[in-house]
Amino acid sequence: MAELTLPRPRRLRWLRPGARGTVVAATVLVVAVVVCLAVPVLWPLDQSAVALDQVGLPPSWAHPGGTDDLGRDVLHRSIYGLRVSLLVGVIAAVTATLVGGLLGGVAGLLGGWPDRILMRVVDTVAALPHLLLGIFIVAMLRPSLGAVILSIGLTHWLSTARIVRSELLSLRTRPFIDAAISGGASRARVLTRHLLPHVLPKIALATTLMVPHAVWHETSLSFLGLGLPPHLASLGNMINDGQRSLLTGAWWASIVPGLAVIVVTLAIAALSARWRDHLDPRVRAELDL
Amino acid sequence: MTLLNIDGLSVRFRLRDATVQAVSDHTFAVRRGELLAIVGESGCGKSVLAHALFGLLPRNAEVSGRAILDGVDLIGCGEKRLAREIRGRRLGLVPQSPATALTPVRTGRRLLAETLRAHQRDPALADSLAEQVGLDAAALGKYPFELSGGMAQRLVTALALAPDPALLIADEPTTGLDRPLVDHTLDLLRRRCDSGGTVLLITHDLAAAERVADTVAVMYASRIVEHRPAADVFTAPAHPYTCALLNALPDRAFQPIAGHPPMLTALPAGCAFAPRCTHADGACATLPAGPPVACHHPLVTEAAA
Repeated sequence: MAELTLPRPRRLRWLRPGARGTVVAATVLVVAVVVCLAVPVLWPLDQSAVALDQVGLPPSWAHPGGTDDLGRDVLHRSIYGLRVSLLVGVIAAVTATLVGGLLGGVAGLLGGWPDRILMRVVDTVAALPHLLLGIFIVAMLRPSLGAVILSIGLTHWLSTARIVRSELLSLRTRPFIDAAISGGASRARVLTRHLLPHVLPKIALATTLMVPHAVWHETSLSFLGLGLPPHLASLGNMINDGQRSLLTGAWWASIVPGLAVIVVTLAIAALSARWRDHLDPRVRAELDL
Repeated sequence: MTLLNIDGLSVRFRLRDATVQAVSDHTFAVRRGELLAIVGESGCGKSVLAHALFGLLPRNAEVSGRAILDGVDLIGCGEKRLAREIRGRRLGLVPQSPATALTPVRTGRRLLAETLRAHQRDPALADSLAEQVGLDAAALGKYPFELSGGMAQRLVTALALAPDPALLIADEPTTGLDRPLVDHTLDLLRRRCDSGGTVLLITHDLAAAERVADTVAVMYASRIVEHRPAADVFTAPAHPYTCALLNALPDRAFQPIAGHPPMLTALPAGCAFAPRCTHADGACATLPAGPPVACHHPLVTEAAA
C-alpha cells in the first residue's frame, strides 16, 4: 500500500517534533533539576555573605554571571534562586490543580445544587483580587516557603475548577458515555476510562501553564516583603534587586536570573505540549504516519 | 419461553409548557429466539422505548408500567441493579449514530478487549467478534475517528455482542451502511436468533424488517398499532397505517401518506391516525382496542378477531 504523507502543520512544530525539541527540553529540565539538587553539596552558598570590594563586576571567568550591587556572584545565587522557584512553582501549581480539579470534578459530576454552590464560591473568590487574597493568606501565617505555596495554591485553583467542570458537563452528554453505560460499564469505569482521558490533558496543560505564573507570584510576594526574607536568594528577589543595577549599566544582575526563569519555564511548556499531543490520539496518529 | 414481557409501558417527558407522550401503553412479549422488528417513522418514539428499557432516559422522563426481562422488572429494579446485572450482560444495545458512540481515545481492538474483560470473557475473542460483524483486523487497529460510518457501525455491533447479551436491542443498526453490509448485518442478527439469541430490531427500514423479522410491531405516534407475524404484516396488513406505510415503498405503490404525523405534545384522544386515514369515521374518536390491531376498521378482519 502506498504510504500517505500529509503536510504537518507549521505552527508549534518545534514544540512537538518527533524527538529533537523534546530531547532538548528534557535535557534542559534534567540539567536544571540535577544542578539544583547538587549545588548545596558541590558549591554551597552563604546566603548572607557580601563582598563590597567586588561590587557590580561584569561577567568574567571568576564570576560567569557577574556580581550584583553587594558583590555577590549572580550565577551562584541564580542557581539557588532557581531551586526555590522550581520548588514553589511546581508544588504550588500542583496544589492549585488538585484543589481545582477536585472541586471542579465534584461540581461537574454531581451537577444540581452542589454544582451551583461550588460555582458561586468560585465566582466569589474570583471577584477578589487574587494577589490581595494571597497576601491575606501569607499574612496570617509565618513567612516561609510553605506559606507562599499555600497562598498560591489556594488562590489559583479557580480556572482549573472551571475547566474541569465545563469539560465534564459537556462530556456527560456525549453519546459514547450513554453507550458505555448501556454496555454495562460501572460508574467508576465510566469515570476512569471514558471521562478522565479527556480531562487529564487539559488539567496537565493548566498545571504547566500555572508553573511560570506561580514563579511570578512568588516573586511578587517576595518583592512585597511577604515571601522569602530578602537576603535569601530567590529569582524574584534577584530580578527585583537587579532593577536598581540596570541604571548603572549592570544588565547581568537581572538578565541572568531572568534567563533562568525563561529557559526553565519554556522547557516545562514544551514538554507539556508534547505530552498533551501524546494524549490526543488525533495528533498521535498524525505523528506516527 | 417469554424473555421480555412489557406491560402497560408508557413514557412521557414533562417540559415547561407541554408534555411529550413518547411511548403510550405498550403491552407485548418477546419470546426467546424471536426477532421482533419495531418499525415506524422517525419521531414516533421507537428509540425512547429502547432507552427506557436501559434506564437511560433524561431526568424529566416519567416511566410507568413494567418491562420484565427474565424475571427482573427493568423499570422498577433501580439503577444499581441495572448497572450490575442488566446492562451489557442481559441487555445489549447497538446504539444509533455509531460514530459518536465510541470513546475517541482508544482503538477498536482495545475497546473490544476491554469490554470482553469487563464481562469476564476472553479478550482474545476480539478478532473473531470483529470477523463476525465483517470488520477486518486492520480496521480494528484504528481509532474511532479514522473509521468510516460503516466500519464504526460494525464496531459498535461487535461491542454490543461482546458480553453475549440475552436480549440484543439494535437501534437502527443499518443506517449508513450500503446494501451488502445491510444484508450482512441483518443476516448476523438473524443467525443470532436462529442459534437461540433474541433480538429487538428498531428500524424505519421496512425492507430490513421484512428480510429478517419473525414478528413486526408497527408504531405510530407513540402507540403500537399493529403487532403480528412478519409474513402477515407484509402480505396482508390489517391496520390502515401499515397498509399506507407499505404503499409508500418505492417498490410498491410509491404513494406517500397524505398529511403529517401528529405532534407528540398534542395527541388526539382517539385514534392518532384518523385524520390521515381514508377509512376514518365517528367511531375513530375513541381509542381502538388492540394489539394485535388497534383499529376500528381493520382491513383484515380475521386478524383482529
